[in-house]
Amino acid sequence: MGATYLLSASRSARAPLFTAHDLLLLLYLYPFRLLSALASRDLLYRIARAAEPFLQFHAREWKNTVTRRMLAAPGLDLAPGQAERIARRLVSNAALRLMDDLVLSRPSFHATLGGAEVRGLEHLERARSAGKGVVLLNGHFYAGRLARRYLATIGYPTLTVRHQRPSEDLAGRLGQRILQPRLVRFLHEVIQDEVYVQDPGCTLQILQRLRSGGLVNIHFDARYGARTVESRLLGVPRAFASGIFDIVRLSGCAVVPMLCLGRSKDLRIIFGPRLDIVEASGRDEFVAANLPSFVQTIEKQIAENPEEWTLWMRL
Amino acid sequence: MDAPLSSAEPAGSPDAPARDTMDRIRRVFIASLHLNVRAEDLLYQHKLDEAAGLDSIAVLEFVAALEKEFGIEIEPEFLEIDFLRDLPRLASHIEDLTGRRSGSPS
Repeated sequence: MGATYLLSASRSARAPLFTAHDLLLLLYLYPFRLLSALASRDLLYRIARAAEPFLQFHAREWKNTVTRRMLAAPGLDLAPGQAERIARRLVSNAALRLMDDLVLSRPSFHATLGGAEVRGLEHLERARSAGKGVVLLNGHFYAGRLARRYLATIGYPTLTVRHQRPSEDLAGRLGQRILQPRLVRFLHEVIQDEVYVQDPGCTLQILQRLRSGGLVNIHFDARYGARTVESRLLGVPRAFASGIFDIVRLSGCAVVPMLCLGRSKDLRIIFGPRLDIVEASGRDEFVAANLPSFVQTIEKQIAENPEEWTLWMRL
Repeated sequence: MDAPLSSAEPAGSPDAPARDTMDRIRRVFIASLHLNVRAEDLLYQHKLDEAAGLDSIAVLEFVAALEKEFGIEIEPEFLEIDFLRDLPRLASHIEDLTGRRSGSPS
C-alpha cells in the first residue's frame, strides 16, 4: 500500500477540485515536514501511532479489498483473521514510511540507521566481481528507499529506476497541479540516486552505471514500461515491464534478489544468490526463458512478507 | 543540423570521420530500430529523438548493435543521449576505438 492509498479508498471517474488526500498531502509536505526537522524520529513515530486509529478507519474499504486479495492469493494460505491483521499492519507500515521519508530527507539520516542489518552481502560481492554491474531485483516494499540510502552510506550506491509521477488516483485537480509536482521533488530529495523511466536517456544511464560495475535497483512488479510481458503474480494475470530483460540481455550484468524489510529503527536488507540467467537467441526467447524465475523471486518475497508489500491494491 | 546523408557535407578535414563510418552507423540504426527508410534519406537525430522518447530500450538496442557491428565497447562516460545524437562525433569516436583514424591508438 502506498501512502497515496492510505488516505482514501475510493476513486472517482472525474477528479474533484480538492480531496481529503490533497489536504493531508498539503499538511504533510508543508507544516508537518517543516516541524519534523526539529522532531526526533521517536517523536515522528509516536505521531504516526497517534494518527493510526484515524488512518485505520479511513482505510477500511482499502483493507477489505486487500484482505480479499490476500485470501485469494495462492501460496499465502492465510486465515481470514490473519489477513485482516496483515491489512492493518499495512496501514501502520504506510504511516511509518511517511515518517521514514521525513527522516531520509534530513542530512543526518544515516545516524538513525545505525542498527541496520545486511545479510547475504557475499552474494552481492560475488556478482559484482564479474565486472558487468548488478541489477538488484525486488518488488515495491516499504523499506526500499531506506535500504538504498543505507547501502549508499556503506559503499554500495544504487541507482533506482522509477516512474516519476506518484499515483494520482486520489488527488483532486488542484492537488494534481500543485501538490503532486512538490511531492515529486520531495521524493527526489528522499531517493536522490534515481532515473525516471520516462527519461529518453534512462536506459543509457542504467547501462552507464552497470558498465562502471555499479548497482541498479529495478522493481520488477512495476507495470510502467513501453514494452510489457504477461504473467501471473500471486495467481492474478499481470503485465510486467519487460525492459529489465533487455537490460540484462544487452549488458550481461548479474541479477541479485534484494529484500528490504523493517523501518528505520530495524532495517534489514537481505541479498539472495545471483539468479541463473538463461541465455537465448532472441529477445522474446530470452524473456520467455527468464520470466518465470524473476516472477518466482518476487512472489516469494511477497508471500513471506505480505505486510511489507506496497502494491496490494494494484495486484 | 540533422540532414539526410545525401545532402551532408563531405568529410573534408583530417579529423572528420569517414563518410562510410557514418553511413554504417546509419545502417545499423535503421536495422536496429526496424525503420523502413533508406540510409541516405534518414533524418538521424530526429529519428533517434523520436525513438528515445517512445521507448528508451530502443536506444539501448542501437548501442548494442553498434558495438557488435564495429566490435567495440563504448565507455560509460560516452553513454549519453547527446553524444549519440552527434553523428560525426560518434563516428569519430568509433574510429578512435577501432583504430581507423590516422594517428589514433589502435
